Amino acid sequence: MKMKKFAAALMGLSMAVSLTACGGSASSSSESSSETSKAETTQGSSTAATGDTLTVAIWDTNQEPGLTKIINEFTQKTGIKAQIQVTPWDQYWTMLEAGASGGSLPDVFWMHSNEINKYAKYEMLLDLTDRIKSSDKVEMDKFPEDIVNIYNYNGKQYAVPKDIDTIALWYNKKMFDEAGLKYPDESWTWDDFKNACAKLTKPDGSQYGYALSPSNNQDGWYNMVYAMGGEIISEDKKASGFDKEGTIKAIEFIGDIAKKYMPKYETLTDTGATVLFESGKVAMITQGSWMLAELCNNDYVKANADVAVLPKDATTGRRVSIYNGLGWAAAANTKNPDAAWQLIEYLGSKEAQQKQSDLGIVISAYEGTTENWVKAYPSFNLKAYLDMMKDLQIRPYSKSTVVWENMLSEKLVKVWTGESDAKTVCADITKEMNALLAEEE
Amino acid sequence: MKRRERIKFNLKDFLWGWLFLLPTVVGLLILNIIPIFQTIYQSFFKTGAFGKGNIFVGLQNYKKLFSDASIWQALFNTFKYAIIEVPFSIAIALLFAVLLNKKIRGRTVYRTIYFLPMVAAPAAIAMVWRWLYNSEFGLLNHLRNLIGLKSVDWISNPSFAFVSIAIVGIWSVVGYNMVLFLAGLQEIPHDYYEAAEIDGANAFRQFFAITLPCLSPTMFFVTVTRVIGALQVFDVIYMMMDKVNPALYKTQSLVYLFYKYSFVESNKGYGSAIVVLLLAVIMAITAVQVYLQKKWSDA
Repeated sequence: MKMKKFAAALMGLSMAVSLTACGGSASSSSESSSETSKAETTQGSSTAATGDTLTVAIWDTNQEPGLTKIINEFTQKTGIKAQIQVTPWDQYWTMLEAGASGGSLPDVFWMHSNEINKYAKYEMLLDLTDRIKSSDKVEMDKFPEDIVNIYNYNGKQYAVPKDIDTIALWYNKKMFDEAGLKYPDESWTWDDFKNACAKLTKPDGSQYGYALSPSNNQDGWYNMVYAMGGEIISEDKKASGFDKEGTIKAIEFIGDIAKKYMPKYETLTDTGATVLFESGKVAMITQGSWMLAELCNNDYVKANADVAVLPKDATTGRRVSIYNGLGWAAAANTKNPDAAWQLIEYLGSKEAQQKQSDLGIVISAYEGTTENWVKAYPSFNLKAYLDMMKDLQIRPYSKSTVVWENMLSEKLVKVWTGESDAKTVCADITKEMNALLAEEE
Repeated sequence: MKRRERIKFNLKDFLWGWLFLLPTVVGLLILNIIPIFQTIYQSFFKTGAFGKGNIFVGLQNYKKLFSDASIWQALFNTFKYAIIEVPFSIAIALLFAVLLNKKIRGRTVYRTIYFLPMVAAPAAIAMVWRWLYNSEFGLLNHLRNLIGLKSVDWISNPSFAFVSIAIVGIWSVVGYNMVLFLAGLQEIPHDYYEAAEIDGANAFRQFFAITLPCLSPTMFFVTVTRVIGALQVFDVIYMMMDKVNPALYKTQSLVYLFYKYSFVESNKGYGSAIVVLLLAVIMAITAVQVYLQKKWSDA
């Protein structure tokens, strides 16, 4: 009898716990997200907006303190209150989709090139076209055209550009010294990079030249593909670029490095390139400007590492960085469209964009506001990120980017593990990607 | 007169009975039954985002399903997982239950300890195990290195990643099974054991001749619920394996693919078709189990 009571109590308890477990699984799964997702830190978003307060949804905790400052200044000027809610990248889009389906989107939120299409297509976003035209603060021609175009759907503007990001090369100075190598600089080609990888790789497996996962596309192999004259997707976004000579060459190049100078593929998926770099297992990684807060505050990185521009390709002479930029969008059914627009207008103004750079939050999208950004972490050569802006390539996207990006990552595993060669895999990808692109309409 | 009263009384009983059932029935209808039919309905559509712009495509999702090799691999993976998880979690739980049913010192403490994994959130469990399994910094490999063994890629080697995942599954569910078995053991009359002892049966003989047969209703319940649970495995895989993990193809379960298509790539129609397949598989297996149980208890 006593036993039964005990069992019943335990079962009751476990049911209570398993209910709460649903919440738990949502918040900690951010850990499993790949490094391509922009900074992912768990943060509760329990503060619901009340009354006239605007809700502002973002996914990057690193940017929260800085943006709060900017938004507070906005409140002082206009009297409109706004509250930031952070949801980690992996749950952000699930949250937003649920909000859109249920008619409860946040008032103002971040948009990304991967997802804009469906939100614009089903008219979930506030059409900003006319408001931008009549505004004297937001001037769309001061923003990079590519970024403006991402958020333009059938001639209507659905978001105002927020920032841009570029990619640079991080290297471990101590390891370069040990190997007797000169630090990477402007003169480096991808071949120099490969030779350095060879010298930095120790045969006992304690140290490798480079680390890169197939899901590190924007901050990794996409850059090499474009530098070597290839492309991921055609200009009109109708055809895969994996049958291009340059693309195959780049994939072969990475496949070779992966085989010889990278940690075992299994290790890479277990631990991730950035963590391997921060623990002194690899000498170089390529990383986006959005990762500064993570890397620049790491003690090991502070003591041993620095940043340089990406190498260029010897044949084409191009030093390419993939770039992308977020946009500020508002919900079509927001209760307070005018207040939401005022906030977006302010965030897109030169004044707020300048502040965003000065505070070291991100590289602002507004022309001529970026020079102070490099001073945020003076001990690193952050100028490299700005130098990369000379030859930019917008992050490849189409209407269903996520679908073919996942497919690419999965197929390329075979090249990294050496199970199959680059040519075969690229042919396979071309076929499948073209089929996916044909389905898009 | 008397008879009428009885009928009236029964009617009252009947109404009260249904009244008490009502919350459960309503809950089942709203949360389970209706969504099942909606899911089946949705599996015939090419879905647009936000539940808008659905296009009826007939059996196209199912055609794709049957020609998709990754689906069949996932079904196979799901079975591989279940075949390891179910027998081991039951055998270990039974062993613990029998041991902890004896009068030993501090047995409530042991019972609580074995039950603890069930109380912890599955996501938290998966994160801790992920670190234990980590090939570079994980505790397991650290211990292996200490005794001179080579590191193992626990969750990224395609040939045994599913075993590593199943171990986590077994570990989390053993305590729950154990409590069910303990409850079953309480039902067995003590006289049987006394009689057996007088007849000179040893502990093993007693276990196989008394405990096991008398426990068969509990055993049946545990097996059926565990098989269903194992076929629905998702959270451990989702939490522990990266999207580009080389072992993922040979480890991902049907529910994992359902999640991927429905919520990551927002292809809810195809996701629904996958889950309908899973539903059919689980119903078929459970039907076989119920049939076998009936046959066994009739014999």
